[in-house]
Amino acid sequence: MGILSAQKTLFNRKKIGVFLLDHAIEVILFTLILALALGVNNFMTWSNWMNILRANSLKGVIAFGMTMVIVAGLIDLSIGSTVALAGVITARCCRDLTAGGMDLTTACLIGMGLSLVMALVIGWFHGFFQHRAGMPPFIVTLVTLNALYGLAGMVSEGFPIANQFPDWFNFLGGGRIPIPGWIVNLLGGGKIDGIPVPAVVLIVSFFIVWYFMGYTTTGRAIYATGGNPESARLSGINVGRTKMICFIAVQILAVISGFMTSGQLLAGSFSFGRGWELDAIAATVIGGTSMNGGIGKVWGTLLGVIFMGVISNGMTLLNFDIYTQYVVRGFIMFLAVLISSYQAQIKA
Amino acid sequence: MSDFNIRAEHLTKDYPGTRALDDISISFQSGKVNALVGKNGSGKSTLVKIFAGAISSSSGDIFLNEEKLTFNSTSEANAKGIVTVYQEMSLVPGLSVAENIFLGRLPKKNSIIDWKKAYKMAGDLLQKMKVDIDPHETVKRLSMWQMQVVEISKALSFNPKVIMLDEPTSALAQNEVQSLFDAVRALRDQGVVVIYVTHKLQELPQIADTVSVLRDGKLMGTVQMKEVEHKDIIDMMFGEVKVQSRPRDIEVKDEIIMEVNGLSREGWYQDVHFQLKRGEVLGIAGMLGSGRTELLRGIFGADPVDAGEIIVEGKTYKNAGLREMKKAGIGLTPENRKLEGLILIHSVLDNLCYASMNLTSHFLFEDKPMRKLFANKQVSELKIKIPGINVTAQSLSGGNQQKVVVGNWLNTSPKIMLYDEPTRGIDVNAKQELFAIMWAQARKGISTVFVSTELEELLEVCHRILIMRHGRIVEEVNPDQININELYEICMRGE
Repeated sequence: MGILSAQKTLFNRKKIGVFLLDHAIEVILFTLILALALGVNNFMTWSNWMNILRANSLKGVIAFGMTMVIVAGLIDLSIGSTVALAGVITARCCRDLTAGGMDLTTACLIGMGLSLVMALVIGWFHGFFQHRAGMPPFIVTLVTLNALYGLAGMVSEGFPIANQFPDWFNFLGGGRIPIPGWIVNLLGGGKIDGIPVPAVVLIVSFFIVWYFMGYTTTGRAIYATGGNPESARLSGINVGRTKMICFIAVQILAVISGFMTSGQLLAGSFSFGRGWELDAIAATVIGGTSMNGGIGKVWGTLLGVIFMGVISNGMTLLNFDIYTQYVVRGFIMFLAVLISSYQAQIKA
Repeated sequence: MSDFNIRAEHLTKDYPGTRALDDISISFQSGKVNALVGKNGSGKSTLVKIFAGAISSSSGDIFLNEEKLTFNSTSEANAKGIVTVYQEMSLVPGLSVAENIFLGRLPKKNSIIDWKKAYKMAGDLLQKMKVDIDPHETVKRLSMWQMQVVEISKALSFNPKVIMLDEPTSALAQNEVQSLFDAVRALRDQGVVVIYVTHKLQELPQIADTVSVLRDGKLMGTVQMKEVEHKDIIDMMFGEVKVQSRPRDIEVKDEIIMEVNGLSREGWYQDVHFQLKRGEVLGIAGMLGSGRTELLRGIFGADPVDAGEIIVEGKTYKNAGLREMKKAGIGLTPENRKLEGLILIHSVLDNLCYASMNLTSHFLFEDKPMRKLFANKQVSELKIKIPGINVTAQSLSGGNQQKVVVGNWLNTSPKIMLYDEPTRGIDVNAKQELFAIMWAQARKGISTVFVSTELEELLEVCHRILIMRHGRIVEEVNPDQININELYEICMRGE
């Protein structure tokens, strides 16, 4: 009897351990928020949270695409340059086409259309050379990272193209959707910031990618391709097309991020988006997606995005300088990957 | 070097449920090539592993001359001069021959690698084997037999007293085998105990001095190669095989469901013709490397073919892709279930529904309840033993994994199932269950092509057996009119 009950508690403790390990990111994020809420003034305020969302949605949108790519067993390092390129192409169209007498809205839409076409072409390029020529995705996208950066510089002729966008375009990045009065009253009244448009885009794109990955055959095929491409192929899954879809999706999300970034900063510049690929990868990995492919949750990536945002915000509120922030973020990413490697080892 | 021997006395090795070695007493002499033969699962690799220190025996002892040996690791065996060259090559392709031979222990002068000495030492070793391989050459540029010789030279560099060669010719082409044999004879003539593990009997007259036969963990005897006939060894290997009878109620229809016409793939198989009837279980027998696996993959469209066509239910397919063949109603369980059949990190549910994805979805959207239904149907029909359908495929036993691979395809409602070595590495009960599945499918009118190296399985399961040799189908036999020894003989003929 005694042995039996001892075994039972042991089992329960083990079960709790497994639960904590499985939800490590949730637990850590919750603890972090709790600590910041208790220790830092102005952290747990509505406007601060809206700021966190506003600042992190731009990269966050891309992280969902990055999750698709990484789950498929691939990587895309070029997205930072795509962000910049989408901005400068649109800005250039706004400036130069209107100079020829075109209506600003039409010019801007043409620029956005061109950017999206570019996303398709880049995604196709990555997919084609990765799948058909067997080039490592790391290298193919490293090439485009550099080439597109240069291209963005060429399109913008080396300078930011500022103040060219129509107001509705700027609204995409900088706008806020006001909160209806009755909700404001419910929250206690007073002056409350609206929800930033990028945050809405973040949430919408989260739901789209989440549904796509979890509820469609293509999503299933992405997991299969990342899990074991040969088994997937021999089950009749079109591995080449699946990879192509991922490469194109992350590029389209990068272009959307590029629109929002340029709109928020009222300019297109080749320097936007520098290094964002690493933030997107970090959010994905912190969210528990395996760099080996085949395993990953879009929900985890959303948590990863919020996690990164909360850390930066907390450190800023605590007056950490920017360099310290880099060190701390690096350390946290290290810890996250350590935990997920440990999880993988336990499960294997 | 004086004469010596390595012996086992009353060696027994038990695994849960099976006795891999049963009271083996055997002795191997120096200066001789001692062949160790037996079919798969006869215990020959267990014996080798015990000599090599990789596993320990349950009871019994091993001796080198009069010294009793107890090993806790392979390095302890190496220190006693016992080295093993395994089937899977352990060479680093990008490095030179000399670097590979002395990997991790290159000669040094003042803590700097002494390349001159390394190449000279490697050259000397290769000289001893009487082969002409340049120690500077990069290993990936060598032919297969040369790599095998480098592997042996590496073993030789430990100054061994005993060298065990585990199926050294399995990856070699016919003409390469002779070159390897020359090297093995050179090795023998230096007074080393050579233990040569093989299942290729046709090699024995050329290379072996003595032959020891294992069957079901028992030593059937050791004979001098000069004194025995081929047939004697086969009898020792197989004994009286009781072939279980397949159910007689399975009715093979006369209707031809698939016809393979002149299928060829350069270097793998040539001009293959055969017909498959509805509800028939057709076996393909052949040795490793006879082109069986490649043929199945060619029919399934997993690899391109150079010539020929496949007719399924009157429709002709020429070099069609596998998605097209899948639509035609063909399924394949691949040779390597872990690397080609399953996605190990995914759940049983997922693994059972990959091939049938289009049947468990509406347009692009998955029907989750339907997926569960499909998965549970196979779990109960194939008797897959799992705690739940959400466990990962990697946590299952070999037999259950194989059933998941089969279930994945049965979910597509195939007309023809191609099985490539489905019984490899699964236990006897699982095998029987797998055969029962094949028969159950046959009753439903599904045709089966079954490839196996285990000839008795083919005799047990199939209505008809095609024999493949060097990429050609050379003969067709009726399993009711042939015994295993004759079948083995035909498979080996001309090798």
